[in-house]
Amino acid sequence: MDIRFSDCSVKFKTHVALHPFSLTLSERRIGIIGLNGSGKTTFAKLIDGLVKPTSGTVTVNGLDTVKDAKAVLTVAGFIFQNPAQQLIMPQVMEDIVFGLKAHGLKPAEAEARALAALARFGIEALGPRRVHELSGGELQLAAIASVSATGPDILIFDEPVNQLDLRNRRRVVDAIHALSENAIVISHDLPLIEDFDRVLVFHEGRIVFDGLPAAAIAYYREIAGC
Amino acid sequence: MLTSLYVEGDTFLHRQRPGAKLALILVLGLALYLTERMAVQAVAMAITGAIYFSLPMTFREALYRLKPVLFTIAVLGLINIWLLSPQEAAVSTLRLLAVVFLAAAVTATTRIADFMETITWALQPAERLGIVRAADVSLALGLVLRFLPDIFAHYEGLKQAHAARGIAFRPVRAIGPLIILALKDADAIADAIDARGIRGR
Repeated sequence: MDIRFSDCSVKFKTHVALHPFSLTLSERRIGIIGLNGSGKTTFAKLIDGLVKPTSGTVTVNGLDTVKDAKAVLTVAGFIFQNPAQQLIMPQVMEDIVFGLKAHGLKPAEAEARALAALARFGIEALGPRRVHELSGGELQLAAIASVSATGPDILIFDEPVNQLDLRNRRRVVDAIHALSENAIVISHDLPLIEDFDRVLVFHEGRIVFDGLPAAAIAYYREIAGC
Repeated sequence: MLTSLYVEGDTFLHRQRPGAKLALILVLGLALYLTERMAVQAVAMAITGAIYFSLPMTFREALYRLKPVLFTIAVLGLINIWLLSPQEAAVSTLRLLAVVFLAAAVTATTRIADFMETITWALQPAERLGIVRAADVSLALGLVLRFLPDIFAHYEGLKQAHAARGIAFRPVRAIGPLIILALKDADAIADAIDARGIRGR
């Protein structure tokens, strides 16, 4: 993984969401923490090209997120805070197949790949289930299977264990830890990122700490005052 | 709670091709607009109603799915009685009901993926002429069918929120919040579609 931000900033009308910064990310597990509204999600969306930089450039594995926007989407997959909204088809299997066909796979190939994706996360039983019937943890796992099925090198998670009970949290955390892909995880769940390779702390649109998890978490606690 | 517009089953209608079912709606709609005979409209409504209510779901769920559209048809019927004759209002109401029952039956017996494939196929000539992007149109239709139950869920949520605060619920009060919630959902869904690289291929 090679993500480079060069003099990058993001401004929404008059609000500066991210102040100018330069950064290179290459570690396999990167955590992002910070208070609400600190710029974490904007930062993550920059990587996937869902937010365009107001100034500067972002490249992902050598691809520019503005000039090579479509190619970037094949390299970096995004799992949203509410996975129910990213599963477009009513059934899990249908959704994975639909995503693969949209990437140019033939129906038979897409079905085989979808089954393999479900098996990879041990959720074969979810294939025929309706998205509306799934629990929060099942939704997260289905979304991870759906996004990873297309073969991205990087998976970006936006608060993947938010509002999950302990059992579902465990399932999702285990799935993230077992990923062969690189992972960038925004989380308010600090134990999730405590064994990551690198953690960035965001505060008021700036990266105020960049280092190992223990020190980053301590710094974040200081900012949060708890 | 309404979780999906598709109803699992193996009825005669389930087994028909989506293209044939869509063509049937078109033919019936056109045919009913060519006649003003009330008996024909009544028979058509009785048949399509029987088909719809015989699908594998409870009568209550079948009715719940059509509640908003039946309400609209009732309002239109009342307006027509006022503007036209009772006979004309009855013909127009029966005609609308016949088409709505058939369309609801087709929706309940066709998977969204099959709908989308059929629409994409049917729009290929228009795509070749550069008029539309067939995949985008079918995706838009698929999204409407997929996320319609979410709108129902938001409506129920608003009702419960009113009840929890001891406020009498009036459907008209839900229109504003429902539009805002739907727009917020649309934003998130559009982001997800972009992130998955689905559109514009």
